[in-house]
Amino acid sequence: MKISLFITCLAEMFYQNVAKDVVEVLERLGCDVNFPKGQICCGQPAYNSGYRKDAQKAAKQMIKSFEHSEFIVTPSGSCAAMFKEYPELFKEDPEWLKRAEAIADKTYEFTQFIVNVLKVEDVGAVYPAQATYHTSCHMIRLLKETEAPFKLLKNVQGLELLPLENSYDCCGFGGTFAVKMASISEQMVDEKVRHVEESTATLLIAADNGCLMNIKGRIDRKGKPIEVKHIAQILNTRVEGRN
Amino acid sequence: MAEGTIHNKDAFLNRIADKLGRKQSEVVALPAWKHQPQWSVFEDASSDDLLAAFCKSSTAKSVFVKETELANLRETLEEVIKKHGGGPIVTTKDARFSEYGLEQLFSDPETHIWNAALGRRNVELAKQANIGVIFSDISLAESGTIVQFNDRDIARSVSLLPVVYVAIIPKSTIVPRMTQATQLVHGLVKSGKELSTCINFISGPSNSADIEMDIVIGVHGPVEAVHIVVTDK
Amino acid sequence: MPMKIGEQPFFDRVDEALENDFMRTAMASAQDRLRGRKLDATVNDEQIGDWEEWRSAGEEIRRHTLENLDFYLNQLSENFSKRGGHVYFAETAEDATRYIQEVAKRKNAKKITKAKSMVTEEIGLNEALEEIGCQVYETDLAEYILQIDDHDRPSHIVVPSLHKNKEQIRDTFRDKAGYTGTEEPRELTAFARSQLREVFLEADIGVTGCNFAVAESGTISLVTNEGNANMVTTYPETQISVMGMERLVPTWKELDVMVNLLSRSAVGQKITTYITNLTPQLEENSVDAPKEFHLVILDAGRSNALGTEFQSALHCIRCAACVNVCPVYRQIGGHAYGSIYQGPIGAVLSPILGGYEDYGELPFASSLCAACSEACPVRIPLHEQLIRHREIYVAQKGKVSEKLAMKAFGIGASTPSLFQGAVKGMPAIMKPFVKNDSISSGPGPMKLWTSIRDFPSPEQNNFRSWFKHHKDGGDS
Repeated sequence: MKISLFITCLAEMFYQNVAKDVVEVLERLGCDVNFPKGQICCGQPAYNSGYRKDAQKAAKQMIKSFEHSEFIVTPSGSCAAMFKEYPELFKEDPEWLKRAEAIADKTYEFTQFIVNVLKVEDVGAVYPAQATYHTSCHMIRLLKETEAPFKLLKNVQGLELLPLENSYDCCGFGGTFAVKMASISEQMVDEKVRHVEESTATLLIAADNGCLMNIKGRIDRKGKPIEVKHIAQILNTRVEGRN
Repeated sequence: MAEGTIHNKDAFLNRIADKLGRKQSEVVALPAWKHQPQWSVFEDASSDDLLAAFCKSSTAKSVFVKETELANLRETLEEVIKKHGGGPIVTTKDARFSEYGLEQLFSDPETHIWNAALGRRNVELAKQANIGVIFSDISLAESGTIVQFNDRDIARSVSLLPVVYVAIIPKSTIVPRMTQATQLVHGLVKSGKELSTCINFISGPSNSADIEMDIVIGVHGPVEAVHIVVTDK
Repeated sequence: MPMKIGEQPFFDRVDEALENDFMRTAMASAQDRLRGRKLDATVNDEQIGDWEEWRSAGEEIRRHTLENLDFYLNQLSENFSKRGGHVYFAETAEDATRYIQEVAKRKNAKKITKAKSMVTEEIGLNEALEEIGCQVYETDLAEYILQIDDHDRPSHIVVPSLHKNKEQIRDTFRDKAGYTGTEEPRELTAFARSQLREVFLEADIGVTGCNFAVAESGTISLVTNEGNANMVTTYPETQISVMGMERLVPTWKELDVMVNLLSRSAVGQKITTYITNLTPQLEENSVDAPKEFHLVILDAGRSNALGTEFQSALHCIRCAACVNVCPVYRQIGGHAYGSIYQGPIGAVLSPILGGYEDYGELPFASSLCAACSEACPVRIPLHEQLIRHREIYVAQKGKVSEKLAMKAFGIGASTPSLFQGAVKGMPAIMKPFVKNDSISSGPGPMKLWTSIRDFPSPEQNNFRSWFKHHKDGGDS
């Protein structure tokens, strides 16, 4: 299966190891991964801040980069949701609307792709730890993908998943919200960190680098002994003999 | 009530039509709704199922429930009255009381039967009453709700002012939910019947959760409620 | 403007709210309790079937009604007046209050009882009535608490006194009303009952809002629990109901669906204790019903939304489900919004009704987590409307620096060579700030981020080179 990787600007700039894990997991599952070179950023920072025109520029660049792809896979529910928002972004431009719809239809978040398209729930990973999982808002509410990450984590050998109180509440990232409304965002991420601590987990997993950057940033600042990892990092671990 | 009036209508509605990008609509047909989940609730329930659900829902709304047959209704009502502190009692003016053999029970001077000719004096008596007794016109299984079509005789005060309201619920009045009751009212409107000035859906004693979300029973309306279901009527 | 709460700038209000631990604890615990109750009465209630179907039913009804608003308002007013009621269409808040003042003067009214109504808060009706010498009594417990606490303002559209705990309420009752009891909610509630009992029977005018009006019969439907709305609409000789012009349904059949959505979404009840449906009466000689019934239908900026992308904001049925799940409201409470309409729906409605000058910052007070859109029983796409507001706001009032930054973003995000340069250059640029693989004090716009959290340091490897190498078979 040929898939095009949309790695996200955040991963490309700050989380290259996550990006490599994504590639390796997909390849192990038999995908032929390619990387469209023109890709930059989905445009969400501008779109959510009210700069529609500037977001359209970013979106056009992405549409051009990905329109020949068969499947588009990205390790971020939020960025995937932004691709799905492209038709709205170009609703007044019939030509681009058509191209936007084509992109939206073939975009999948990483775990969603593995579970729903590849039909794999056990990737053969092994990760002994007591962890808890942060459900990213855009993944559960805009993509409406609530199950895929849990199905995959359930089959990770050695991993015990502990419940997270108020898991449905936003971590306070929200893109530019985190800096525009920094004092409110701080209270939100503090509450999230408190719930993570109360779960007694020593590892926090999520499927979106945006949320992770926010929560990890706060955990590190407060010096909490909690590791933070993207789900691809967990899924890309294996020992010989499994699968 | 005197002749009604309408002020500023045309300018107001024209502005709306204008914003909606058209002229004022003269005829609009109600669409056939695509989504009507309300009709599936208790769709296949028997009248016994509905009765059981009504009792359960009433209890959940902090209502005391009694089931009785018509032959024992009077006795049951007497017990209920006693248990909830006795008179004074106020009742609506309702032919069903004699139909259900309760006329004699209310011949007691402690009981005031609403009499519009007495004017405000009725309200005074209802305020002093401990118990108000009424009939339910339609009863909703889903939520333990009684419905009253109030008028000059089926006065609003009877279920509102006394400390306790006691409603007599003929089993035959129990329907699945509000859907069937509003359907009936819609039918009345369609057929040109005049609606009661107050159609009241009542589900148990008054209550409030305005202080720290703690539910307190008994605010401005009744503090206790009793539903007596007459199982063979 | 009566809709407005306080004169401070938005960020000052937020700072003040964040320091109020009492209020914040109250908000969080109220949200948690309401969430459980709502789930039990909606998605977890098997009896009512698929909650999503109900939401679709609500959406469908609201959309049709708003698309034909002029028709149904006309029908409503004809049916209401046919029964002897008086309908006044008020374009502005001032028109509405002036009309109600005139009625009160004509009736020589002294005492006025009120049931809870956000729309009368919106138009500042209490102040207008007090101005002409009337004594106004709020009778909903929450509104009563606010009124006797020197007219404190609502912090929640369903439970306006949500920001107060029982100890604060006890103290207010003691200081202002001679209460001598404890902080037990039961005892406090009994006190309010005893204080208002006589007032209900003596009042000259009863004022209510309107949850839904039924066009086909000219009926006003009130959805309540305390019994106060029944008292307010039963004993005074004159009743005045004020409705936002969008609050109506075509027929009784739709009333059923809407009331169900409202009760379950607002407080997690299958049905509220009272659903009181009032039509002006034709009958003479009734003892306990108003003799004169006025309906004031209010625009006050609502029509700004008609025919625009904000039209569906008028589908709102004021259940506060969006407020109850909002993680921002959870932290800052209701007053910080500076509007009597708070939370996500407040951030959408307030700029429509009151303009961007006063309320333009509210749409930014959201992380766009979409919990609001998910909770809304009539599927208003609230978080999307917040983005639409932001678009209008930045076009009108955006800071030049931000506009330039976003322009640069647009150029950067459509020019691969620039982006690649930035990615490659990033480690070198950021190097001076990196300590132990993270950045705890960043330059420029990163400062706000790093004031409370660390920033990841750019990794040294370039993903694209790794990928190319990897594909060429050099890496495994």
